[in-house]
Amino acid sequence: MKHPAVRWGVCFVLLFLAVLALLAAAVAAGSVGLTLPQVSRALLAPGQNPLAEGIVRTIRMPRALSALLLGGCLAVSGYLLQTYFSNPIAGPFVLGISSGAKLAVAMAMIFVLGRGRTLSSLGMIGAAFAGALAATGFILLLSLRIRRMSQLIVGGVMVGYICSAITDFAVTFAEDSNIVNLHNWSLGSFSGTSWGSVRVMALVTLLGLAACLALAKPMNAYRLGESAAQSLGVNVRLFRTALILVSSLLSACVTAFAGPISFVGIAVPQLMRALFGTGQPLVLLPACFLGGSAACLGCDLIARTLFAPTELSVSSVTAVFGAPIVLWMMLRRSAAEG
Amino acid sequence: MEKRWFFTEKMCVGYGRKPILQHVDFSLSQGEILTIIGPNGAGKTTLLKSIARQIAPLGGRAVLSGQELASLSAPQAARRMAVLLTERSRPGLITCFEVAAAGRYPYTGRLGLLTAADRKKVHTALARVHAADLAERQFSQISDGQKQRVLLARALCQEPELLILDEPTSFLDIHHKLELLAILKQLVREQQLAVILTLHELDLAQKVSDKILCAAHGHIDRFGTPDEIFVPQYIEALYGVQRGSYNALFGSLELQPPDGPAQVFVIGGGGAGIPVYRALQRRGIAFAAGILAENDLDTPVAKALAHRVFTVPAFEPVAPQDAAAALPVLRSCRAVVCAQPAFGTLNRENRLLVQEAEALGLLQPLSEI
Amino acid sequence: MRAAKSIALGAACALMLTGCAAQGAQETAAQGAPGPNWASLAPTGELVPEYADEFSATQYEGGYTFLQIGEAQYVLCPRGEQTPTGLPQGAAVIETPIENAYLTATSAMDYFISLDSLNALAFSGTNADGWYLPEARQALQTGAIAYAGKYSAPDYEMLLQGGCGVSIQSTMILHSPDVKEQLERLGIPVLVERSSYESDPLARMEWIKVYGLLLDKLPQAEAIFAQKVAELQPVLQQPAAGGTAAFFYITSAGAVNVRRPNDYIARMIGMAGGEYLAPDDGAETARSTETIQMEQFYETAHDADYLIYNSTIDGEVRTVQELLQKSTVLADFAAVKAGRVYCTSKNFFQEPMSMADFLLDVHTMLTDPDFTAGKYLYKLS
Repeated sequence: MKHPAVRWGVCFVLLFLAVLALLAAAVAAGSVGLTLPQVSRALLAPGQNPLAEGIVRTIRMPRALSALLLGGCLAVSGYLLQTYFSNPIAGPFVLGISSGAKLAVAMAMIFVLGRGRTLSSLGMIGAAFAGALAATGFILLLSLRIRRMSQLIVGGVMVGYICSAITDFAVTFAEDSNIVNLHNWSLGSFSGTSWGSVRVMALVTLLGLAACLALAKPMNAYRLGESAAQSLGVNVRLFRTALILVSSLLSACVTAFAGPISFVGIAVPQLMRALFGTGQPLVLLPACFLGGSAACLGCDLIARTLFAPTELSVSSVTAVFGAPIVLWMMLRRSAAEG
Repeated sequence: MEKRWFFTEKMCVGYGRKPILQHVDFSLSQGEILTIIGPNGAGKTTLLKSIARQIAPLGGRAVLSGQELASLSAPQAARRMAVLLTERSRPGLITCFEVAAAGRYPYTGRLGLLTAADRKKVHTALARVHAADLAERQFSQISDGQKQRVLLARALCQEPELLILDEPTSFLDIHHKLELLAILKQLVREQQLAVILTLHELDLAQKVSDKILCAAHGHIDRFGTPDEIFVPQYIEALYGVQRGSYNALFGSLELQPPDGPAQVFVIGGGGAGIPVYRALQRRGIAFAAGILAENDLDTPVAKALAHRVFTVPAFEPVAPQDAAAALPVLRSCRAVVCAQPAFGTLNRENRLLVQEAEALGLLQPLSEI
Repeated sequence: MRAAKSIALGAACALMLTGCAAQGAQETAAQGAPGPNWASLAPTGELVPEYADEFSATQYEGGYTFLQIGEAQYVLCPRGEQTPTGLPQGAAVIETPIENAYLTATSAMDYFISLDSLNALAFSGTNADGWYLPEARQALQTGAIAYAGKYSAPDYEMLLQGGCGVSIQSTMILHSPDVKEQLERLGIPVLVERSSYESDPLARMEWIKVYGLLLDKLPQAEAIFAQKVAELQPVLQQPAAGGTAAFFYITSAGAVNVRRPNDYIARMIGMAGGEYLAPDDGAETARSTETIQMEQFYETAHDADYLIYNSTIDGEVRTVQELLQKSTVLADFAAVKAGRVYCTSKNFFQEPMSMADFLLDVHTMLTDPDFTAGKYLYKLS
């Protein structure tokens, strides 16, 4: 056991440093050039430079923290689903979460804004959360009737299609302006995050990670298949419900605050598996969190600085990096399997 | 009562509402191996899965040392029963040690961390199945035989009293089949484990089991020791064998005899005739065999494959009239093969048949037929 | 060991957040000593619009102005004066005259140009290429006005660094509430202008008074408005020239988008002496346009005297052939057969102050058979 532990230790340290470095870069970089001493003063000794403080504390810091937290949530959620379904392209939204959220947001936009009333960002977040959780509830109901877990993915995909169909139907009757913003919303973005949102995200993340720790033991048994897990004493029904709830909570959190962000949940767990060379949940859960944080921090940085002041959508950046990674992993795996 | 350490009572198993096997009643003691045999689709795996609590029985109950299996919680059951099913999973990155260590699941704490004692038990289990050197290797990269042993180690880590295996040897070559069963036998002896397994290899079932349960369609046909079950003609009846036969004594299969009247007469004995019988059967040439004693090595194979067999009672010499009785058939064949280079005291009269064959010009070596 | 790592990670996150959040940015408090109590101020004048519905304003002593736009309330506070206390709940405070404004409502640019106040703008939500007004385009090209990202994703840092004083947005910002809230958190008040909700074209022009208030140039604004209205009088007082017209464009899905009868363009056609043809379904909505099937449009407008194509969405059409490529059914329309098909020019929607010119163009179209091109309308060849 010596060699794997050393490898893991090194990898964790590297990941941690990467996250810190990217966090620092995210806070230091932007369209307004600030030197590192200015940045640290803005963080630690307030009152001297209101402009720098405003930029660092109100704009960059919450945004960077949300990328860190939500990136981690995405990767962990994707990892949970990939392990449970033994499916390497399962992602956090495979159970139809983002479609449910999009439907709820579309409804909110059409029925609230369309009537001339205003919707606060809290309202949008609440709507997205509600939609995501409604989709989750539906999937849970399905899971009570479905025996095999592979069928659950089909259920999730169908839920996604149904929600999309209803959304499209509603959009047909809506004003053009609503549709544009729905499209913008569904591309995902970390911009405009407030400290209040960051607090909620942190709470949900901590809860989710704690729940994951509790699930680590049955997940380990699940690596050998569902009937093996059952014979080892895992309560399959309970585990399935808990896993769906936890992964949905995490991905609902992401969708509510930042919209659906693609590929992080699929590519990062695979990368971490390759990096750490193991499938042990107790190793991969923190690894995926750190990896997801680093990925989102990096992609968000690119999205907002590459063509400033125009902001790319963070999903397009994650797709540009994520899709080739997934392809490469797949090729590697099939080469290894011969 | 020791006899009833594990038993089922009027168990009925199936999926949904459809019962597949009904009125299943059998019992098992510690240190015994029970093999369930029966035709495909009879419900052997269903019965196994029901005992293993993977599917709920439709009726009746199973009791393990005084406790109903259905009343045990999942962790309790996992400590008493270990299951090895033929599930082909794709485990991804996992070492053999981790696979075996999963067996400690019912004993580890909240996070599933292994203590030093746990680790030692895992290593011991791996050693017991002769897989100690595989510990750090990736599970997906070892052979099927090695995989089965590692899975058996996992089952052992659960420290069970009852081991349940579904066709554990189906995908293994004979080397690994024998090895696995030898390990199983050793474990049963040393630790007084009870084992319930299903096997398609009847010869192995006959040799390794203490008890046999025969599942036919919808019901249990027989339950007893191998001597009671493996009697002539029973296996053919149980499996509905029409083209071939099963030799209960040796536990071997024979293909069906070639059609038509005998074309070749084989003079054999002492095991020399068997290759000739088989060669002729492969070529589809019907033959007659004799004169053999009832307890001769050739006799069971001859009886299965020949059109006509001439025998004398065991330990009795071949009398001239026995040889004479075979002559008409010999004359009606187109060739005669003599497999025996020399005859002993008791079957000296076979020489008569050889002489007659030479006189008729029928004697030929096998290669020319 | 691994469990400890996870816990440590969580703890680190929590520490980081509580540490930062404790020193998190607060809303910048009002500046300096407390100002006068709002309730105690006496009004000195009312600005009641003659044509517009969407705004009204009251002026108070001390130079403060209370501006109501739709449901939103704004208190305009002269620079150098203290912000009053006891303001109505939800009213946003805007310092006047506005400086370094971030403009995303493209239709409002014209007001700034008419008032010669481009220098009040420092940021735009539209790139140089998106502007048809030459003054605006030049300002963006020279960098006098900087492109700061579109309304739904502004570059907050640029705005903060440039000392942005106010953001003038269209109602689209209401669909991105998080952006509006972030701007307000940064101390940039958001004014949501509703000039495009006015159905009377003269009302749209009257909005120059709102910008006059914001730029502290109200008298100028009122004078310009009066002049424009005077320009229109001759046209408005002429007898109706007659002639039916339809105003439309064809969507990418092959449907037809037309104006509703109460819409300002429909009314302008009426004011110019013509009759706007609208589909007869009697539905009442707050919308100014609606999308109908080609069949319905055929029924409504196939014997209209004039057809006017709206170029803003998919670009200017130069020839009748190009128009027919969008839909061959149009070949059956009377106006097409008679060659009386016109198109708006690209800059039309960006120049609300030139409603009068458009009206004159339509009038000329209706009365002069040789009319080929005006300021905003030209004939398809």
